[in-house]
Amino acid sequence: MITFPGTAAAVITRKALRLMGKGATTLPGKLAIRISPSVIREKSRGKHIITITGTNGKTTTSHMISEMLNYLGYDVINNISGANLASGIATTLICGKDEMMKAKGQSKGTIYVLETDEAAYAKTAGDLQPDVSVITNLFRDQLDRYGELTHTRDCIADGLAKTSATAVINSDDSLVASLGKGREDKTVYYGMGKEDMLRNNTVYPPKKGILPASPDAVYCPDCHVRYEYRSRSFGHLGDFRCPSCGFASPASRFEVRYDLGRSPSDEDYPFGISDSVTGETSDMKLRIPGSHNLYNTCAAVSAVTVMLERLGTDSKTAFEQATDAAGHVKAAFGRMEKIDVGGKKLCILLVKNPVGFDRSLSFVEEAEDAAGLMLLLNSNTADGKDVSWIWDVDLESKADSLPGYISVSGDRWGDMLLRIEYAGLVSADSGDMSRAMEILKAALDQCPEGKCLYVMPNYTAMLSLRADLVREYGLKEFWK
Amino acid sequence: MSEKYKLTIGHFYPDLLNLYGDRGNVLALYRRAHLRGIDVSIRAISVGDDLDPDEIDIAFIGGGQDSEQNIMSDDLVNVKGPIIKDMIEDGKVFLCICGGYQMLGKYYKEHIGNVVECLGALPHYTEARSERFINDTVYLFTTDDGREVKVAGFENHSGRTYLGEGEKPFMKVVTGHGNNGEDGYEGAVYKNTFCTYSHGSLLPKNPVITDMLIERAMKKRYGEEYVLPQLESTTEDMAREAVLEYIAHGKEKAP
Repeated sequence: MITFPGTAAAVITRKALRLMGKGATTLPGKLAIRISPSVIREKSRGKHIITITGTNGKTTTSHMISEMLNYLGYDVINNISGANLASGIATTLICGKDEMMKAKGQSKGTIYVLETDEAAYAKTAGDLQPDVSVITNLFRDQLDRYGELTHTRDCIADGLAKTSATAVINSDDSLVASLGKGREDKTVYYGMGKEDMLRNNTVYPPKKGILPASPDAVYCPDCHVRYEYRSRSFGHLGDFRCPSCGFASPASRFEVRYDLGRSPSDEDYPFGISDSVTGETSDMKLRIPGSHNLYNTCAAVSAVTVMLERLGTDSKTAFEQATDAAGHVKAAFGRMEKIDVGGKKLCILLVKNPVGFDRSLSFVEEAEDAAGLMLLLNSNTADGKDVSWIWDVDLESKADSLPGYISVSGDRWGDMLLRIEYAGLVSADSGDMSRAMEILKAALDQCPEGKCLYVMPNYTAMLSLRADLVREYGLKEFWK
Repeated sequence: MSEKYKLTIGHFYPDLLNLYGDRGNVLALYRRAHLRGIDVSIRAISVGDDLDPDEIDIAFIGGGQDSEQNIMSDDLVNVKGPIIKDMIEDGKVFLCICGGYQMLGKYYKEHIGNVVECLGALPHYTEARSERFINDTVYLFTTDDGREVKVAGFENHSGRTYLGEGEKPFMKVVTGHGNNGEDGYEGAVYKNTFCTYSHGSLLPKNPVITDMLIERAMKKRYGEEYVLPQLESTTEDMAREAVLEYIAHGKEKAP
C-alpha cells in the first residue's frame, strides 16, 4: 500500500487531537488536502460510496442509510458527526476505519456513507465518484453563508455532471427534481405518493395564520411563471407543474403511501413505501417520527435499494432488504433523540433554518407527550450571523397548539423572545446562554413524569447545551 | 368612535421578495395596529395581481434573491411602476428594504458594469461591489418629535447606494456600513416613503419606526387630527436592549 504524505499527517494529527480529547473530525483532512490536494480522489478509488446532499435531512438520511446497510451485513464508514465539508470527507476517507460500524458476522464489504455539504459536493463529487448520490431538497438556509438557492442547485448539478452516480432525487422539490433532466437513465426519483398527497392535502388543510410563511422556489426559473400545485406536503414540496413549459413533479419509482388520519409525530406511525419497478409495496412503521422523516426514510430506502442493485442484488430482494432494514433504525444525535432525565424526557431538535423550524414546531404541535418547549438562538459564524430567518416561519398559525410552557435562551434570546411574543405566545422564562441550564432545569421541573421537554437549539447553541448536558447528566460525547 | 378605523397593508411580491425575515416587518405593522383596535388587513400583491392605490395604506416591498428579482422586476417597473410612483408622490406610506430600496431608485449597476434600469420613483442609484456588507447594525433614528433613538438591525448587501436630489437619509450609522460605507448614513426618506438596507427584522425590535409608519398612514387616511393611541413596548424594548448589548459586547465563543 502506498502511503501518501497527506494521509500520514492526517492520521497523526487525528491521534494527537483525540489524545487531547478533541473530536478531530475536520483538521486531519484539512491538513491532508493541503499536503496532497488529490487525497480525496486517491483515497476514494475502488470504494463504494453513497453521498447525501441537500438542505434538510442530510444527517438523518445518512444515519438511516448507515444503520440499514450495517444491519444488512456491511461495514459502514460515515461522517456522522456532521463534518460534511471537503475536510471532513477527507478525514472520514483517511481515518474512518477507526470508527467503522462493523457488520455483525461475516462482512459483505465496506460502504462509505458521506453526508456532503451542497457546495462541497460540487468540489468533491468528481473525485469521490460515488455509486449513489442522494439529493434531499433545497430550502433557504443561512443565505449569508451559502448564497442563493439557485446557485446551490447549480453547484450540485456541476458535481453530478462529473460522476456516473445514480442520482436519488426528491421528485416533489422543483429545484432538485430538475437535476434529473438530461440524465434520466442515471436518475431514480422518490417522493410522496401523488394521490396520497392529494387526499391528505384535502382532508388535512393547513391552518390559516395572519401571513403565510415565506416560500422558496414557487416560480419556474425558466418561464418566470408560478407553478401550479395539485397538492403539497410542506414548504414548496408537492405535486407541481409549470403551466408554461409543462415541467412537472416527475413520476417516482419509490413513493410514500400514507394517511394523515394519524399523526406522523406518533411512535411507530404506520405507512408504506412502494417500488414501481417491482410493483411491491412494503408496510412499514416510522422509526424516527415527524412527517419530514417520511421523506428521509423513503430517500434512505431508495438509496439502499439502488446501492444493493449496483452490487448485484436483484431489484425485488434489494427493495425487500432495504425496507426490512429501515424498520430497525434509531434516532441520531440532536435529531429527535430522546434522553431520559429522572423519569422525564428531553428531546433535542436541531433547528437551523426556516423549514427545519417549521417542521420541528409541527412535530411538537402533534406530539402527545409535549409538556414544554425551549428555544435557543445563537448567531456565531457556524449558525449564520443573521437571525432574521426566525421571522420567515409561520409561527402564528401554530401558536395555539404548542405547549403552554415555553422558554427562551441563547445569545440572541432577545430576538427569539420577541419572535414568540409576536406569534401571541408568552415566555415563562428567558435569558442569555449563561442561564440556559437554569432555564432548562426549570422547564424540566414543571414537566410531569413521563412527559417530554422539547428543546430546539440552533447549531452552536446545541453544541454548548450538549456540553452542559454531558456534564450535568453524564451523557456520551457525541462524536463517539 | 362610531366607525372602526381600518388599515390595509399591501405586501408586494411576498412569494418572491421575502428574504431575511422581511415577513416580520409586516407582522409588526399588523400587530401594533391590531393591538390599538385598528381593523388591519394584509393584501398580497404579486406578479400579475391588480394594484388599487386607494386600497393600500402601507406598502411593503422587501428584497429577494437575484433569480427571484429577475422574475418580478418587469411587473414592478413596467406594470405597477406608474401607479407606485403616483402613490409615492401622493404621500402614501412605503417601507422598502434592501432589494425593494434599490429597485425604487434610478438604476442598479452590476459588478460587470451592466446597468439594470429600475423604477426611478426615487432619485438614488446603486452600484454593486465585490465586498458584501454582512453584519449586525446599529443606527440613530430621529423621531418626528426630535428624539434620537437607537435602532438595531442587520445588513446584507453588496450594493452601494447614493442618494439623489430631494431625498434625505433615513438614519445615521453607529455600527455597520449603511448605504455605501462612505458617508455614514443609512437608507432614504422621501415624503412618506422610507427605504433601508436593514433586515433583522427591522420593525419588531424597533417599534418607534413601526408606530411612526402606522401613524403616518392613519393620518393620511383619516386626517392630521388622527391621534395614534398609546401602546406599551416593554418586550420590544427589552429585546432591542438585549440585541444592542450583544452587538456591543457579544463575542464569538468557541463551542
